[in-house]
Amino acid sequence: MKPKFAATLAAAALALLATGCATKNDAKYVDSQGPNTIVSLNSINIQDWNNAADKLVASLLESNVLERAPSLPAVMAVSRIRNNTQQQVDTDALTKKIRVALNKSGKIVTTTTLGADGKVEDAVAADSGAMQAFMAGEKQKTTLPYYTLSGKLLEDRVRSGSTQQTTYTFQLSLTTVKDGLAVWEDETQITKQGQRSSVGW
Amino acid sequence: MKLLLATSAAALALLGSGCATSVNTVSRSEPQATPSYVADQRVITDSSLGRKVAIVSVNEAKVSGDLLKIQVTLENRSTKPQAFTYKFDWIATDGMELSAPTGGWKQIQLEGRETRAVAAVATSPKAVDFRLKLREN
Repeated sequence: MKPKFAATLAAAALALLATGCATKNDAKYVDSQGPNTIVSLNSINIQDWNNAADKLVASLLESNVLERAPSLPAVMAVSRIRNNTQQQVDTDALTKKIRVALNKSGKIVTTTTLGADGKVEDAVAADSGAMQAFMAGEKQKTTLPYYTLSGKLLEDRVRSGSTQQTTYTFQLSLTTVKDGLAVWEDETQITKQGQRSSVGW
Repeated sequence: MKLLLATSAAALALLGSGCATSVNTVSRSEPQATPSYVADQRVITDSSLGRKVAIVSVNEAKVSGDLLKIQVTLENRSTKPQAFTYKFDWIATDGMELSAPTGGWKQIQLEGRETRAVAAVATSPKAVDFRLKLREN
């Protein structure tokens, strides 16, 4: 083997070893709750929903207001979550995580047959309940919520030179239906600053 | 020559420390709080992070009747800000790790010599133990 060819081969092998077999742009799986997700300045990322939900759930549970319900788990309905950001977002990204966490805590069950503006989440359950009551010749019994959850998403954008800063504010209120009083309220903010989106934190 | 050396050394020290600023604090001389401390065990795999960020204390409480809350107080040992991520895992009586719908890694930045607590509430009453993971950015 000629020395020049051997040296080239060795260099190529070393380069392959150093880079691994994957190229940088290959698609790969990353942990949705891990620190290697994409951070973008212009949108609410998966980790933002997660962190906001986590802080708000912790705040709600620490407030001990759920213990005041006459029976546990208390029934909660999700009311309107206003989106005042510039983005088209599905607010379920926040509320579903909160619902799941509260459900796992054993403190809250969410009704899926009542919704804001008469829009029910589970129409089949609502219709079946009505049908069942009709067939039995009874008046339909609807479990009314003890609590309602409402909120708002806000966005604030500022720029200094080439650096952009975006703050997303997640506000939630828990209201007792019987008196219309917000027994728990909190907000959490997530601020991102930079010149462009990046992978990892 | 001596002056030049001293100036160079000062310049290098300044360059090394960057624009480091540390946090001054004041608190009650005799704290009224009576935390319930948790005896902990630590596994250090990143000695660099271990030197920068110290775990001062771990304490626990119960919220909403039966949910475990853990608070870990951290201290940045350096005068430079330190950004890192942390994650709480929750473990049931049978040793099984519980899935947390809002769990996951979270970002925190401690300013120079700052002491701050990170806390989490288990969303399941089954949680009896915890594991806090820290990772340098």
